[in-house]
Amino acid sequence: MGRELKKGTKGPNSKYITRTKAIRKLQISLNDFRRLCILKGIVPREPPSRKKANHGNTAPTSFYHVKDITYLAHEPIIAKLREHKIFLRRMSRAMGKQEWGRAKALEESRPRYTLDHIVKERYPTFIDALRDIDDALCCVVLGASLSQHRRIPKADLDDCARLAAEWQLYVTHTRSLRKSFLSIKGVYYQAEVQGENVTWVEPYQFLQKIPMDVDFRVMRSFLEFYKTLLGFVFYKLYTDAGLVYPPPLDVKKEAAGSGVDAYRLQPVGGAPVDQEETKTTGKKKVELGGGKVLTGRQVQKAIVSMEVDGEETEEVEGNPKDVAAPLATAKAVPTSTQALDTDTLPSTEEFIAQPSKTDPSTSSTLLTLHALANLPNSNTKLFEPYVFFVSRESPRHILEFVIRSFGGVVGWPASCGGGSPIESEDDERVTHVIIDRPLPEGGVLSEGRRRRKYVQPQWVVDSVNAGKVLLEDAYAQGRTLPPHLSPFGAEGEGAYDPLAPVPGMEEALREVDEEMEDDEEDSEDDDDMEMEEEKEEEKTKKRHRRGKKAAASAVNVSNPTDADAVRKAELEAERLGIEPAEFDKVLEKAAKNKNRDVEEEEGDDEDDEEPKKIETTKGASEENMAKMLLSSKKRKLYNLMKRTNARKEEEKVKLQKKKIEIAKQKKKSGR
Amino acid sequence: MAPKLPASSKGSHRPAKRKAESEPKANRVEPSEEWTGFGGEGEGIEMASDEEETGESAESSDAEEFPEIDPVSSGEGEEEEEEEDTSETGSEEDDDSAKDEEEEDGESGQEEDGVEPPPGDSALMGEGLKWDRKPGSYPNPKVIKSSITGEAKKVYPPIEPEYDSDSSTEDDPNRVGRIPMHWYDDLPHIGYDINGKRILRPAKGDELDKFLAAVEDPTSWMSGFDHTSQKDTQLTEEELDLIRRLQDAEVPDASYNPYEDTVEWFTGEGKQEIMPLTARPEPKSRWQPSKWEKQKILKIVRLIRAGHIVPNKPKAKQPQWYSLWSTEAETSRPPPLVAPKVPLPKHAESYNPPEEYLPDQDEIDKYEDLSDDEKVKKYLPKKYDALRHVPAYEHFIHERQNRLLDLYLAPRIRRVKLHINPDSMLPSLPSPQSLRPFPVFEALKMSGGGGSRARCVSVSPDGVWTVSGDEDGVVRLWETFVGREAARWKLGKRIGAVEWCPRKDVSYFLVGIEDEIFAFMPPYLSPAMESATLDVLVPRNPPPPIGEEGEKPVKWSQESLSFKQSASTFSSPPLVVTLPPTAGLPKQITFHRRGDYFATVSSAEGHNAIWIHQVSKRHSQSPFKKIKGFIQRVLFHPNKPHFFVATQRYVSIYDLSAQKLLKTLYTGSRWVSSMDIHPTGDHLIVGGYDKKLMWFDLDLGNKPYKVLRYHTKAIRSVAFSPNYPLFASSSDDGTIQIFHARVYSDLMTDALIVPLKVLRGHVVTEGLGVMELKWTTGLGTCWLVSAGADGEVRVWCN
Repeated sequence: MGRELKKGTKGPNSKYITRTKAIRKLQISLNDFRRLCILKGIVPREPPSRKKANHGNTAPTSFYHVKDITYLAHEPIIAKLREHKIFLRRMSRAMGKQEWGRAKALEESRPRYTLDHIVKERYPTFIDALRDIDDALCCVVLGASLSQHRRIPKADLDDCARLAAEWQLYVTHTRSLRKSFLSIKGVYYQAEVQGENVTWVEPYQFLQKIPMDVDFRVMRSFLEFYKTLLGFVFYKLYTDAGLVYPPPLDVKKEAAGSGVDAYRLQPVGGAPVDQEETKTTGKKKVELGGGKVLTGRQVQKAIVSMEVDGEETEEVEGNPKDVAAPLATAKAVPTSTQALDTDTLPSTEEFIAQPSKTDPSTSSTLLTLHALANLPNSNTKLFEPYVFFVSRESPRHILEFVIRSFGGVVGWPASCGGGSPIESEDDERVTHVIIDRPLPEGGVLSEGRRRRKYVQPQWVVDSVNAGKVLLEDAYAQGRTLPPHLSPFGAEGEGAYDPLAPVPGMEEALREVDEEMEDDEEDSEDDDDMEMEEEKEEEKTKKRHRRGKKAAASAVNVSNPTDADAVRKAELEAERLGIEPAEFDKVLEKAAKNKNRDVEEEEGDDEDDEEPKKIETTKGASEENMAKMLLSSKKRKLYNLMKRTNARKEEEKVKLQKKKIEIAKQKKKSGR
Repeated sequence: MAPKLPASSKGSHRPAKRKAESEPKANRVEPSEEWTGFGGEGEGIEMASDEEETGESAESSDAEEFPEIDPVSSGEGEEEEEEEDTSETGSEEDDDSAKDEEEEDGESGQEEDGVEPPPGDSALMGEGLKWDRKPGSYPNPKVIKSSITGEAKKVYPPIEPEYDSDSSTEDDPNRVGRIPMHWYDDLPHIGYDINGKRILRPAKGDELDKFLAAVEDPTSWMSGFDHTSQKDTQLTEEELDLIRRLQDAEVPDASYNPYEDTVEWFTGEGKQEIMPLTARPEPKSRWQPSKWEKQKILKIVRLIRAGHIVPNKPKAKQPQWYSLWSTEAETSRPPPLVAPKVPLPKHAESYNPPEEYLPDQDEIDKYEDLSDDEKVKKYLPKKYDALRHVPAYEHFIHERQNRLLDLYLAPRIRRVKLHINPDSMLPSLPSPQSLRPFPVFEALKMSGGGGSRARCVSVSPDGVWTVSGDEDGVVRLWETFVGREAARWKLGKRIGAVEWCPRKDVSYFLVGIEDEIFAFMPPYLSPAMESATLDVLVPRNPPPPIGEEGEKPVKWSQESLSFKQSASTFSSPPLVVTLPPTAGLPKQITFHRRGDYFATVSSAEGHNAIWIHQVSKRHSQSPFKKIKGFIQRVLFHPNKPHFFVATQRYVSIYDLSAQKLLKTLYTGSRWVSSMDIHPTGDHLIVGGYDKKLMWFDLDLGNKPYKVLRYHTKAIRSVAFSPNYPLFASSSDDGTIQIFHARVYSDLMTDALIVPLKVLRGHVVTEGLGVMELKWTTGLGTCWLVSAGADGEVRVWCN
């Protein structure tokens, strides 16, 4: 016998402590503790038994794992926080005594801390970090859209705006945007970066009303971490794309309101790239700013890119001396994913599967790079042939971002900000004008208008989501738009899909038709004829569906003893391609089962229904029996699952019913 | 308050008045206070209200302290003393006062000679006399001729009270002081004046008079009720002004100036302090430069010159961003669990959703009725015909904040989400056909006719005979298939248990009555069987006794063979086992599977309750020296040397060969009534008087695998069918319940228990239902025999 253990010192529940105790152990304030938890990503844990973990107390508290707290206790930031506290005390004393020199010296030696090591701890590899930047991006994008507020320092907002712009720039540059969705909450974007889907939401550009009950301390703590995280992630992304991070800011452009364009992408060791110029030069002028000294490395790079990028080389061919031109374009950077043009992939990379001699059936075929590049979903050159002009009432920042991410050139009126590559709507290059105004009454289409397409903004987003350029007519100016669906898929298996056909829709519409027909007496006969034809058609279709044998029996069942009918059936069978021997068999069978079959045919529906009912009641009782045998825990789970499924099904049915109703209404009003 | 100035009441006021004039203000009031201790009642000396209560006692104590207080007898000496005191204290007084003293001396001497001024005289002093007052000096007394005595006397001028003197109360004609005036409520007067005369209560008019007076009197607004005089008194201008000042929170004293000019005493021109505070000479360090500082500075200068210290050196700036992930992670600690991502938006969130997503009016109303917490979705789908009409989303910041709060406040748990069809969770039920056969109807009803309760029942191993015992002490033997009573033994004592020997080659049964166990043989046995049975029960040469000779607690006695040759005609038992006299009624007899051993449980407490008997060796033993609790049931394991003992709450399993406790099962029942073991020996059912039936899987643990609560009254008996996967329980609610119990040999599959049938038929009498039930074994049937409290034995068939 060892020493008697004190109660609550052993077992799984002894590994948890309450927040108050954790704070006491760390000897920091609650605010600092919260901040530290946010920075370090320490979250409360759920002990196996709350009561036991809190020594019999059931008051609502949050628990932390002892190991998490010891981990926090070793955090160097805690020491920095304490130093900062002392610094503040000294500073206030110096200020109070009006010792300015001392205050200045203190300010210079102010304790600062960085969060680099925390980012590394929380995300040991880059891909971990990339997977978890959704929230960071959302937070930063929200910060970028906020106006100044007394509770948020301006520096934070500026950082947010910078990071958001850098991210947009990167996505545009690598053309990694995949999906976009205009929701009532804001605009959702999904980009695919290094194989990871990154989704973020951007509010519509309005003045955000900042609610009073928002805790900005929490938000700022998160932002503090997110800024560091995004900084490092962007650094890695930019560096991998051969770009300098952070991209230099063009102050003039920023002042002119050109938005994202104010930041210029700069290749590593190269001159800054002007996004707009490269876009336009892709078509027109392939020129380089005069008097640039080319290094040998740049030339080499250019040559590589010429080999790789077929399109670019073609364009460059017109002016072969300007070897730096493709370099200047963002696409030319070989690390960019877009640079992998499939047509120019070297033939040596062809992988030919060698079938096994012993077992020919087992041949594993893997997707090669070539195949991957040819997958239909990665159509990032969607808008390359087009030039867009965004009219002033359309949201420029959204459209600019989306169109550019798919290779299009965008212009906007000067009232929306400076730096537009296209001055006016009447520019000859413009192929599409994105307009969100109703059609003016009695407006005459000018020559220019007829040449250009006038579409509503939804067209851009729908085209992107569809992966192809949709027909513009449905989205033309002033038209009622087709519904805008989420590209992120339905809710799950068996959920309602607005595009799927609804069972019973045709019947409902037919009913409406019949009602209408009753009203219209004139065309009665024609309709009847049509109806009969339709019915016959349906019958034949059914036969095809069932298969030949079934069809033959269906033909025969009607009256197997009648000679004429048999004859007819024979002909029919021949027509369907049934062999005579088989036909005879079927005939015999049919003769045998004549009576029963006839009965069956007559009372088909009724007979079917009754056994079903019995079956269902039987099933219910058996289910109840089986449920009784489950343990109560499993029974609860079973019931929960059943309920959830039933609720989903109910929702689905409700939506389907609604859809049928709406279709009926429309049809009625349409006639 | 101890009086310091002992003096006679007669000459009291004079020195007091003199002092008041000559001494500083603070002392001036004191005499009046000091006098109060003497409390001369007629003197009208002011008395504090709280001293009034202790007045008498104080008086008496004072009288003790100063027994010579009598003014007539001992006035003089003390007067002198007093005067010495005053002369001492007032030593710095001017000559005038010294003169006064002298004069006083003379005066007092005069007075003591018998000149007694009338009591009221002092109040009247100075009336009608004029005093020429010079500022800064006290007017001299005037000598007048007393109107009473006709002699000359000095009259001093009245004291003119200053602001902080206590004279305000002296003006009051009512001298009762600050006492609660309701003390005088029942008296015709309201107090006493300075001369000790009663002041009569002023007339108090009725309300009308008051009102009229108030109307007539223009100054009524500035008058208030004075408690001491018990009438309305008009406030003076000064008092009104004082009230106004107090109301306006001003300084009450009109003459006080709160903003007086500062008087510069030590500052300003020509008033500076010239003298130093200390005479200490100034230290040298004040003007001599420090040597050590100089050395230190020189050192720094040297270092700077040598280039070791570079002042204002710009710090090496590390780049803010660098390739963080180019090096390996330092900590081996696993990173925190990644939070789940926010679900992606659905079609319903679109700014232009398909129309079927739009809520109708009912849904909108319902949604708006919900509180914020109840809303699953924070938005309602809405359709906008153009993108430019879409407003800002009002909950955007809130949603983001909630997400952030989730990120740092919500515990993260990796939950396994089941993506299965719920129907796959249901166990595959056996088809109802596969559960047959089981007893479904009552085939026979065998009634003893006596109406007394059938306590116990047992069925022979071949199923032909059923034996039952009732409370009247009658044992009946029935033919199971036809229900005929074949034999009857009247034992005349309460029967506790009957049990048939499970051996197939012999046929006898045991009956337990008070302290005795009888072995009986059924009639109509085949000769071979009969002889075999007799060999067992009444062997020709009995086995030698085991162990030492002496008093054995259990006695075996048998009939001599010569006495009866044909066993079928036995009316008395061939074999009797006599239990020790303290054992009581045997409640249960249970055989080991082989039929050689049987155990009995008696109603006694302690080790005498259980006896294990061996028939072949005529030997009995009590397996437990000491046993805790009240033994309910015992059982032999069918194929292991294990012994189950059910006490009131627990079932203990003993290994008889190793002689140790193997396991204790916690039934969870409050009172175990019955117990049976599955033929395979791996499962045990226990019935309790608290309506529960516990199924134990002996491999699983010591808690019940299943607890079945289907009976509405106490369970009396439980039994496993020996050859079918069935078990039955009987209860005081008069029912027998049949269960299907399929046991799988593999350890993974749990036993399947299906309630099959409730058999009703026994009548509940006096709160007792079916007392015992037994399954029949032979002939491939699964029949059930039950003994009811209604005195009937019933057979249930499939």
